[in-house]
Amino acid sequence: MVSIQGFGYFGQALSAAEIFAVLYGSFFKPGHDRFVLSPGHYAVVLFAVAAELGLIERKHLASYGLDGALLEAISTERTPMVDLTCGSLGQGLSGAIGFALASRLASDGRHTYAFLSDGEMEEGQVWEAAMFAAHHRLEGLTVLIDANDSQVDGPVTEQTTIEPLADKWRAFGWETFDVDGHDVQALHAALQSPRQGRPRVVIARTEILSRIRALPASTDAHFVKLDPQLTAAIEAELEAQLA
Amino acid sequence: MRKPPYEIALKPYGKALLELAARRPDVFCLGADLTRQTETDLIREQMPERFINVGMAEANMIGIAGGMARAGHTVFVNSFGVFCTRRCYDQIAMALAYPKLNVKIAGFMPGVSSPGGPSHQAIDDLALMRALPNMTVFDLSDAAEITQAVQVAADIPGPVYLRLKRGEIPVIFGEGHVFDGRRAHVLSRGADVCLIASGMMVPATLAAAEVLEAAGLGVTVVNSPVVKPLDAPSIVEAAAATRLVITAENHSVVGGLGSAVAEAMAEAGLGRRLLRIGLQDTFAESGSREFLFDKYGLSVQAIVNAAWQALRPGTEVPQAPQQQAEPGTYAPV
Repeated sequence: MVSIQGFGYFGQALSAAEIFAVLYGSFFKPGHDRFVLSPGHYAVVLFAVAAELGLIERKHLASYGLDGALLEAISTERTPMVDLTCGSLGQGLSGAIGFALASRLASDGRHTYAFLSDGEMEEGQVWEAAMFAAHHRLEGLTVLIDANDSQVDGPVTEQTTIEPLADKWRAFGWETFDVDGHDVQALHAALQSPRQGRPRVVIARTEILSRIRALPASTDAHFVKLDPQLTAAIEAELEAQLA
Repeated sequence: MRKPPYEIALKPYGKALLELAARRPDVFCLGADLTRQTETDLIREQMPERFINVGMAEANMIGIAGGMARAGHTVFVNSFGVFCTRRCYDQIAMALAYPKLNVKIAGFMPGVSSPGGPSHQAIDDLALMRALPNMTVFDLSDAAEITQAVQVAADIPGPVYLRLKRGEIPVIFGEGHVFDGRRAHVLSRGADVCLIASGMMVPATLAAAEVLEAAGLGVTVVNSPVVKPLDAPSIVEAAAATRLVITAENHSVVGGLGSAVAEAMAEAGLGRRLLRIGLQDTFAESGSREFLFDKYGLSVQAIVNAAWQALRPGTEVPQAPQQQAEPGTYAPV
């Protein structure tokens, strides 16, 4: 998607790939569970997963981010696969709580997974929602955070830090896991461990671009622009890593 | 239609919401720490399984309401109008209005009916809510309107903003008054001036009309509880039969009823002078309803002055009689 257009949220795809792979590969039940994509620009990862699972046709990937395309660069109400998504950051967890409350009222056993990014934790609404979910002991709610230490202006820790992140979530009353977000087994173990009557958060520590050596250090991590030469180098590097 | 001082009703919204919830299992109620003040103590006490107090977190409340609405609930969220519009505008826009979800926002204590000063006075809520695509906006004046508006709002697909007086609610209209969520009501007809009002300015407008008619002017009175979508055909038709149009709202003159009427008249090509009674692009201050409505030009006399000075310039302005409201009754300032 990003290589075809020469632009897009490539870094977010790199940091969150394993999180989505584990969630959709082993835990999320399509048509039953609910998925909230709070940072809409992560849609690129979701589209890749959807194509891999056959939930959308691969041909759609080629029009990612183009005028009139189904797969918009920042997801919207017409984006497939998500029950709720936000472009304005910090709002997704509140909506996820609405789903979790509705499931509790209906006793339907549907689990709500909310994907959040670390940068949006600077928005106060996230913490209003965190407080509420713990108070109401929403066991049917799991938050996955891509902690890639990246926001538009640079590393989160250099803007207004949100650390110590795990301590904050624990203090807010959540069952908290702090894991290597590129370690598939660690993510799997966190999601699989028995529930404890509380909402759960999995903080996935990830790297946004540094695993790709071909990308120059000056690359804008939030929104990557690629030329054909760089694209070829990155593709070769990724193929070698996966081989 | 009754005459002031009006009898009062207590908690018409809270009672109607409780009755609605009893009939419809999809109805749920969220509050933000102002439960008694928003009349939702009734549902909290009688149907606690349908009520959650989110606490002082309006943005979170709107987001939760959106999620519940996506799951099939019709959600009423409640606070003071100033808090459940300004504090969470982006949330209302993105989590409710854009996806057109069944969430009804009840905003109490409109305009300068709050003694609490600018922090508690919703003077721009109509403008904010009116600007949002998919949003329906009601500014309600009377117990019969409020009672019916709860059901009407629940039946409208999409978000609705209900602007509600807090506390003692006047009973202005008779038993047969129908609020359908669409129409403006022409309450009287006269050829000189068309007074168009919503919400708490309806009683003042009716009283002003009486004073003006006694002084020899023909007065048309229009009650327009639906600020969006405005019943433009009815309003333009009523306005076209007069020489002067005056809107009256307990709100800034920027962006509310007056602006909506101006747009409707201009788009219809109706060239009539328009005067807008309301807060003249200013924040107010703390004080009693009597003090604030008088000082900020929302009184019966202010409407009389505007009409008379436009139509009979240079002549003595008739004086509105002082309304004495006994305890347990309501009269406009």
